Amino acid sequence: MNTYIKNEITLMQFILVIHGLQVGVGVLELPRKLAETAGTDGWISIILGWILTTIASLIIIQVMKKNPHGSILELVTQNFGKLIGKLVTILFALYFAALSVIILIRESLFIQKWLLPQTAFPVLLLLLIIPSYLIVQHNIRVLARYSEFIFYISLWIFIVYLIPTKEAHLLNLLPVLKDGMKPILQAVHSTLLSFIGFEAAFFLYPFLRQKQAAALGIVVANTLSMLLFLIVTIAAFSFFSPDEITQFKEPVINMFKVIEFQFIERLEIIFLTYYIFVISTTALPLLFLTVFCTSKLTGRQDRHSRHLIWFFSALFIYVLMSSPTFQQNSQWQGKIANLSIFVAYLLPLFLWMFLWVKHLFQRRELH
Amino acid sequence: MKRLSHIFLVYLFLITMLSGCAEQLPLEDMTMQLMLGIDLSKDNNLIFYETNPVFSKTSKKSSETIEVKATSIRDARNKFDTKVKGFVNGSKIQVILIGKKVLEHPDWFSLFDTIYRNPKFSLNSRVIAVDGPLSSIMYYQSEDNVLLPLHLKTLIDTNNRRNSTVQTTLHELHRQIYEKGITPSISEIKDGTQLRLTGTSLLNHKGKHVHSFNISETALLLILQKEERGEVSFTHFSLPINNKNELFHQDDISFSASNIKTKIKSAYHQNKFHFDIKINMPIYLGERMFPYNMSKNEKNFKKMVEEKLTKQFEDLIKIIQAKKIDPIGLGLYARAHHYAEYKKVEDEWGKALATSTINVSVKVDLISTGNVK
Repeated sequence: MNTYIKNEITLMQFILVIHGLQVGVGVLELPRKLAETAGTDGWISIILGWILTTIASLIIIQVMKKNPHGSILELVTQNFGKLIGKLVTILFALYFAALSVIILIRESLFIQKWLLPQTAFPVLLLLLIIPSYLIVQHNIRVLARYSEFIFYISLWIFIVYLIPTKEAHLLNLLPVLKDGMKPILQAVHSTLLSFIGFEAAFFLYPFLRQKQAAALGIVVANTLSMLLFLIVTIAAFSFFSPDEITQFKEPVINMFKVIEFQFIERLEIIFLTYYIFVISTTALPLLFLTVFCTSKLTGRQDRHSRHLIWFFSALFIYVLMSSPTFQQNSQWQGKIANLSIFVAYLLPLFLWMFLWVKHLFQRRELH
Repeated sequence: MKRLSHIFLVYLFLITMLSGCAEQLPLEDMTMQLMLGIDLSKDNNLIFYETNPVFSKTSKKSSETIEVKATSIRDARNKFDTKVKGFVNGSKIQVILIGKKVLEHPDWFSLFDTIYRNPKFSLNSRVIAVDGPLSSIMYYQSEDNVLLPLHLKTLIDTNNRRNSTVQTTLHELHRQIYEKGITPSISEIKDGTQLRLTGTSLLNHKGKHVHSFNISETALLLILQKEERGEVSFTHFSLPINNKNELFHQDDISFSASNIKTKIKSAYHQNKFHFDIKINMPIYLGERMFPYNMSKNEKNFKKMVEEKLTKQFEDLIKIIQAKKIDPIGLGLYARAHHYAEYKKVEDEWGKALATSTINVSVKVDLISTGNVK
């Protein structure tokens, strides 16, 4: 319990870690994915996804309030016993490990495809994991400061992104609700996946200094991400024709491709290089949560860095032996998607109902 | 111990970065394509041209041009490689020229696949149609030895600012080809006694060239597209007054218009689309070749200008409908406001537009008549 108090994070850091987890490599493809299922009405799905996310995150905070000085791992151990507690810790460790592996590999694939096509894949991964190690080996406070810092210094990307919208055709967005509600509801699945990351509140809550503001914090984080997704998507929908947007795998990068200044022509190269920072605010907290769970398992909180070295070595050896592809990575993503939905949206609900029922029974026993 | 391991990690990081040095490529060993040309030979073989700058003090020419017979842009690159000194690199292409002979065959756009597939290509290259054989333009050498690709790029950009041609980049071409509610329009040049811009090539939805607009028609098209930039200048604009002179066009005026407001309304009834285009033009008179009592007859003057402009727009739309194309993008309005009806005809939108009614009305505000009466 001491570890939580020693490493308190501020409300702003809490917000920006969650926001950073939500905004990453997925944003580059989001407009295309939405357009594939819901056409130019896809932006409505973002708002629907945001409503569901806000409900789920408020439930998470309600659940965590029951045990404000521990993460979900302590909560489960207290309510279900040590054995199940251990099992849940292993499952969470595996879940976060899988997410981090997928994101690190996808990030390297992007760098290789757009920026450094000649460089060997393991070298790119190595270049990513060395600085990652240097940050994640510290405590959560360092990580939270990092996320906050990156958020502030990346704001310019957003402004530059809006430059091509001077050629936007707002007529593309009309008519609203062109094919009814059904495709919009189908696309909500993709938007829920973009919001994945707020479940980190299960682990961040005990670190938060101002616990009374946790609900506010998580809603602000979700809203921030929602506004970003919404503006990025609407800009892309009005910029590309609805008949062509599904042709581009990463429409967001293509928007940067069109920007041309007198002094620089290929702006997407600079954007993508910089975007590695933004992606790192997704990958690093996930890596931290992975080793947080594993070191809980061994009962030694000071073993973060050692576990991290094992994890990275395993990942590096895996990459040396196999050559990952986009297709394979997307398959993995598809496989873990449903698990993510369960962990982020259903698990809080189950836990909440369980605690509520338990509370009811306890009250009855008292009387 | 921990400090030592950190130092080790930082060194490892720096050493890994060195891997980039192995693939270094000096500028002299690179052949940077600035212009790419595609044409059909007499016996219907695809010919590819490229122009690249020459970095050499001894060379008199600032650029060299190479032509090869090939089946695709990638195939052409391999064949270029066998003819030039350095590695051929397409990421700096400024201008892409397409011969009209290529444009006469539909589906030529599939040649461009690699440009959109390969992340190295820039999507800002200007696409230009060439009236006549491409070879005369590719080997065109101006007297002051300017790099032709840069010359062409500037030619298109400045003329677009003057509203004499469209500015269709590779990205915009992709949009116009895939968007069902619009047909592509690209800049057109011609090599006669001197290289010059002739206006805009209009393609149908499959990419086949069907018509060309000259410079003044292009200005009208840009107004209808709401893509006009700054001032639109109208010259040699003869009014119906009986003041004929054999040598001097003494019935002409010239004027410029800025802040033009184009409003397009659409409707659907009797199985037909209806478009109502209202254009509001504040104009500044720049030239009047005949005496006219403006203070007395200003209304009449405005009316003459309005009628003539309306006639010009109507003629333009008649051509568009006759050729079954839609360079204006009226399909976007149809989709936005009459989605169900549009969806039925979107694959044949040009035909649907040909049967619809389009009304144009022009309103002119005479802002200034200049310093003399």
